[in-house]
Amino acid sequence: MHIDLKREIKESGPGKTGLIILLLMITVALAAPILAPYDPYQQSTASLLSPSWSHWLGTNHVGQDIWSRLVFGARTSLLVGFGVGILATLLGTVFGVSAALVGGLYEKVVMRIVDAFIVIPMIIVIILISAYIRPGILTLILLLSLLSWQGGARIMRAQALSLKERGHVAAAKSFGANRFYLAWRHIVPDLGPILLVEFIYGVRRAVFMEAGLAFLGISDPTVVSWGMMMRDALSFSYLNVWQWWLVPTGVALSLIIIGLTFIGHAAEPVIEPRLRGVGIA
Amino acid sequence: MLEIKNLRVSYGQDVILNGIDLELGAGETLAIVGESGTGKTTLGLSIMRLVEGTVRGTIRFNGKDLLALSDNEMQQIRWSQIAMAFQNANNVLNPVYTVLNQIIEPMVEHGLKSKKEARDRAAELLRYFGFPADRFAAYPHQLSGGEQQKALLAMAMANNPQLLILDEPLSSLDAAARAEVGDLLRETDKQSAKLVATHDLDTVSKLADRMAVLYGGKIIEAGLTRGVFRQPRHPYTRALIRAYPNMTTVKDLQGIKGRMTRPVSGCPFHPRCTQAIDICQTKMPRLVWNKGRQIACHRGGIITLLSTKNLTRSFGSLKAVDSVNLHIEAGETLALVGQTGSGKTTLAKTIMGLYQPTEGDMYLEGAKVGKRGKDFYKRVQMVFQNPGESLSHRLSALEAVMEPLDVQEIGTKEERENKAIKVLGEVELPQTNDFLNKYPHQLSGGEMQRLAIARALVLDPVLLIADEPTAFLDASIQAKILKLLLNLQEQRGLSILYITHDIAAARKVSDRIAVMLDGKIIEEGPSNEIIAAPKQGYTKNLLRAASALRSTESSNVEQPTLNPPIDEGAL
Repeated sequence: MHIDLKREIKESGPGKTGLIILLLMITVALAAPILAPYDPYQQSTASLLSPSWSHWLGTNHVGQDIWSRLVFGARTSLLVGFGVGILATLLGTVFGVSAALVGGLYEKVVMRIVDAFIVIPMIIVIILISAYIRPGILTLILLLSLLSWQGGARIMRAQALSLKERGHVAAAKSFGANRFYLAWRHIVPDLGPILLVEFIYGVRRAVFMEAGLAFLGISDPTVVSWGMMMRDALSFSYLNVWQWWLVPTGVALSLIIIGLTFIGHAAEPVIEPRLRGVGIA
Repeated sequence: MLEIKNLRVSYGQDVILNGIDLELGAGETLAIVGESGTGKTTLGLSIMRLVEGTVRGTIRFNGKDLLALSDNEMQQIRWSQIAMAFQNANNVLNPVYTVLNQIIEPMVEHGLKSKKEARDRAAELLRYFGFPADRFAAYPHQLSGGEQQKALLAMAMANNPQLLILDEPLSSLDAAARAEVGDLLRETDKQSAKLVATHDLDTVSKLADRMAVLYGGKIIEAGLTRGVFRQPRHPYTRALIRAYPNMTTVKDLQGIKGRMTRPVSGCPFHPRCTQAIDICQTKMPRLVWNKGRQIACHRGGIITLLSTKNLTRSFGSLKAVDSVNLHIEAGETLALVGQTGSGKTTLAKTIMGLYQPTEGDMYLEGAKVGKRGKDFYKRVQMVFQNPGESLSHRLSALEAVMEPLDVQEIGTKEERENKAIKVLGEVELPQTNDFLNKYPHQLSGGEMQRLAIARALVLDPVLLIADEPTAFLDASIQAKILKLLLNLQEQRGLSILYITHDIAAARKVSDRIAVMLDGKIIEEGPSNEIIAAPKQGYTKNLLRAASALRSTESSNVEQPTLNPPIDEGAL
């Protein structure tokens, strides 16, 4: 089973598109201080200006430069997205693989917790908690990660259960290897492609959740966020500001989510090779 | 009648015999067995007091200490009461005497017979050994090697000695003459005791009731001939039997590692011994009685490496392994034979700890095995059935062989690499960089299995469990892998539990065979006995179904093997 993830993504048109979009967004986020002419937090009396050479996308209701806020918003979005993607995949792998290898009571307890979390509608819980604690970026990453590793854990456990019956795992055991070594050297490497798919969908989910919570106004108001920008823009819907305030923000958010979806879709045949050749309808 | 105590013979600094103790009763035959250079002939010559070196200890013959006698007194005994037939016939016979006169001479010289009586006795002996009357007057150079040997035996027997020392009595004879002379020697002179010095196990089997194995001037094992042949208990004795071509044992010939070296401190065999421990290098073991045998070994002879007691493994109500009692000795191959589904692999995995036993115990070198840790796996390793599965597709050849060392955290990275490369050489794989960086899917089936064997050997285990190691290979590759295992056994003293459904292959590589059916061991014993005289119907069926290349039309389908029936008395 030699699956080449790179080839899988490169050979799919949407896959390539998604990759280009994502790379573009990452570049924007990294280069934000260069691309943004103003401090995104700096307020001025010049509020609700129309686009001009000095303010490309005009200013918002408190006189902040919308273009600068859009560029810095990419940072928040991607930071939360990747942070949660990494942490949730890590948690899912640790619990899923350890449940498969240790077995017994430990496996039962972990998997029942997973079941319980999957049954509870996550969005409601996150909204409730966020409404109380108004999380900053770090807290938000932690919160989203803690509430979204369970689905991955199930997949990892199922895969690890089948991988641990492999001959080379039994062989390694017969050299005296402990479970940690087995997991790290023999099982996780074989999970690689699946981990990546899990990760990408994790990122997508987190980007969406972050924007959503900010849109509902229950995240840290001091952090620049696309969700919050859209919420603010909507309260001036009777003006024509939506053209340069709401639309570019919405497009940016949609692009990231579409990009991640494309990549994830292109990589899916790794988990399920029978999907190969089935394009995006 | 003859009692030798602590006999030491040395030529200058060279100690030839180093504390020999043995006893021989009237009419008994004792064989002294050993490779050339072990001191067999010196022992015979010492009893005759014909050695030129320094002789210490006591040799009591009928109560008299031969070493304390004066030369004159010894002269009385030599050739009349104790006679010796020498090995090298050509040099011993006097070229200017006829055969008849050669035999008359010792009789007349020792004044026991008149010339007339001596001539009659000599003629009688020659006739006994099959000389036609017209050959009596032949000179030694006119005799064949076999006839010379017979003449020497006749000479030695001329005076009806109480003790007859025979040095390689049958070695210069061809097979037919050997059988004939062997019979004659056994039948004749039942009242005289015989000491037979030989390197030839067939001679021992033909002549001697008891045997003593000599190595490096020391007796290392002694006992009843049949018992020793059936179950040698000293590593050297076993190795000697394995190296000897015969019609009884079925395993392929194996040599003994190294060469005999002298002088050696401690046990003389320790440089070649595969179960030597520290004490073997410093202290000479004493010859002691041990379960009906005399053995000189610090470890009490060949040790039992692994034994299981009522080992059981159930899956639900199915007993895949059912109360198995097995033992594996150090340096031997035990073949576990049975059909698919008989529980062979489950047994192997239970021993390895990949399955937990439901019941029963296991002992490794006498110590009970509880939870298997790294120490256990350093000593017991397994080669799995399918090398393509058991090698990770992510590890290169070098990484795969290094993995056990990595897991066990042995040595530095460089040391591990060197060790891995060395083991690759042992299994006859290339040690080039090109090969070291190859991945399993770039290797052939044979190469993969060699790699898997190298990986199992890199920890220097004492026991290797080989689960159908050749199931996925061609016959020609299978032969090479099996040879490799035998060579490794010879060199490292590896014990092998060889699991197979193929009794024909098992017969070639194993010392003992255990037959498994429905999770139980139904029959177990030395390979030749299982092959020649199976007790269980199932084993007979296995043998009947085993591969055979019938080259002649034969109606006798029942004949299970290609082997002729075996004489129990033969080796």
